[in-house]
Amino acid sequence: MAINTRIILICSGKGGVGKTTLTANLGIALARQGVKTAVLDADFGLRNLDLLLGLENRIVYTAQEVLEESCRLDQALVKHKQEPNLSLLPAGNPRMLEWLKPDDMQRIVSMLSEQFDYVLIDCPAGVEDGFKNAVSASKEAIVVTNPEVSAVRDADRVIGLLNTHGVKPVQLVLNRVRPQMIASQEMLSIDDVTDILALPLLGLVLEDEQVIISTNRGEPLTLSGSNSPAARCYTNIARRMQGEEIPLIDPSKEGSGVGSKLRRLMQTKIF
Amino acid sequence: MQGMEVETRFITLPSRKKADWRGYLSTKLNEIRSGQIDINCQDWPFSCRDLKQLISIIDRAGLKISIIRSEIPETIVSAAALGHETFLILTKGHKESPNRALTDLRVNKDPNILFHEGTLRSGEHLEAEGDVLLLGDVNPGAKISAGGNVMIWGRLRGIAHAGKYGDQTAKITALELRPLQLRIANEVARGPEELPEPGLTEQAELVSGKIVIQPARSRLSSPKRPN
Repeated sequence: MAINTRIILICSGKGGVGKTTLTANLGIALARQGVKTAVLDADFGLRNLDLLLGLENRIVYTAQEVLEESCRLDQALVKHKQEPNLSLLPAGNPRMLEWLKPDDMQRIVSMLSEQFDYVLIDCPAGVEDGFKNAVSASKEAIVVTNPEVSAVRDADRVIGLLNTHGVKPVQLVLNRVRPQMIASQEMLSIDDVTDILALPLLGLVLEDEQVIISTNRGEPLTLSGSNSPAARCYTNIARRMQGEEIPLIDPSKEGSGVGSKLRRLMQTKIF
Repeated sequence: MQGMEVETRFITLPSRKKADWRGYLSTKLNEIRSGQIDINCQDWPFSCRDLKQLISIIDRAGLKISIIRSEIPETIVSAAALGHETFLILTKGHKESPNRALTDLRVNKDPNILFHEGTLRSGEHLEAEGDVLLLGDVNPGAKISAGGNVMIWGRLRGIAHAGKYGDQTAKITALELRPLQLRIANEVARGPEELPEPGLTEQAELVSGKIVIQPARSRLSSPKRPN
């Protein structure tokens, strides 16, 4: 079982592009498909994966205690209340950054891989020690980026580093896509991004206000089975990770149909 | 397989000033029954199409190419693009070239052309003492620099510096030239605002102290080669 565990780093370089949101939503979506999934918050300095999953108040022990061997792994793991297939290993306190080494990270991940089918590692922003620790423990990676020049540039840098660390395969998720802005050429198009990054596109996530609402509530969108655009995108990504063939959405068709116009109307004006 | 040595046969094409290579190659191949071919293309500037023709002639004779040697960087590029092992032969003419004489001392210290396969991503920097040939893109934020020429079999969207030791004859060539910045010797230029014509290989060089971008004419097809 440990051999087949997929250890996936979710990283971006730039902050605020949606790493943690993607980690939380993919974690839930994978768990809903029945695979045992662990999400590991490797962002020790600024942890908030627990917030997004709504598990902040259940944390007793963290990765720090596990490493110090003052508790067992299963004591530190926080099971999600509605999705028992999903567990969170919370980040310890920010002071861990001073002593945490790649070896420690590898130890945690190898412990997790004995129990889970998927280990998703929420990588900190930047390319410094926190990133290096997280990379050292990962087998494959998902790079998240937005259709913005600065996010793409940072993603490119990160992909270069992933290659030198031998992380393979690396796939791309393009987050916060606004079809209308792409159509009016105010935003980088999908092709512009994949042209530079030259990675297989695992999925697009459409810009969606529901994401902000769900983040603040601590209930990832994929949890409620919501039919909002972003929720569908996240679920599709999780299914593709599981090997299902699902075509990518076409942003040029998205948001022009009557159905989606109606949906947008429902989600914005009414209620 | 088991330790059996495949015999290597050497073929040197006649210089293009003397005879056509096709006839020579065919007669030469008739004498060879087996083994692998180490072929020296001398001063023939071969495009991929030319090379494919050459390879198919050798294929039809039931032989395999082990290495392609040439004096011409462009032939090397084509051969490498077709996946063959290559070797660039440096000729005496290289040193005698009057306009390169000043800087060539430096370049010739490390006469090898540096090959690199793979895309240079943001933050990466590829440096070479002599010429550099990149099979891949230079992404925005990445940098490629060389003492001699910079040749990019891909898209240049970052920064390129040719002749970093002051060689003013150095050139920058790319299949798609849309750099952030170009530097040749001590000159710096910002990349052009407009997009290049798709499918047009372009080259940047110094013309009376200014960096100029032009469609890459094959300087090989002109009868007089500068080097």
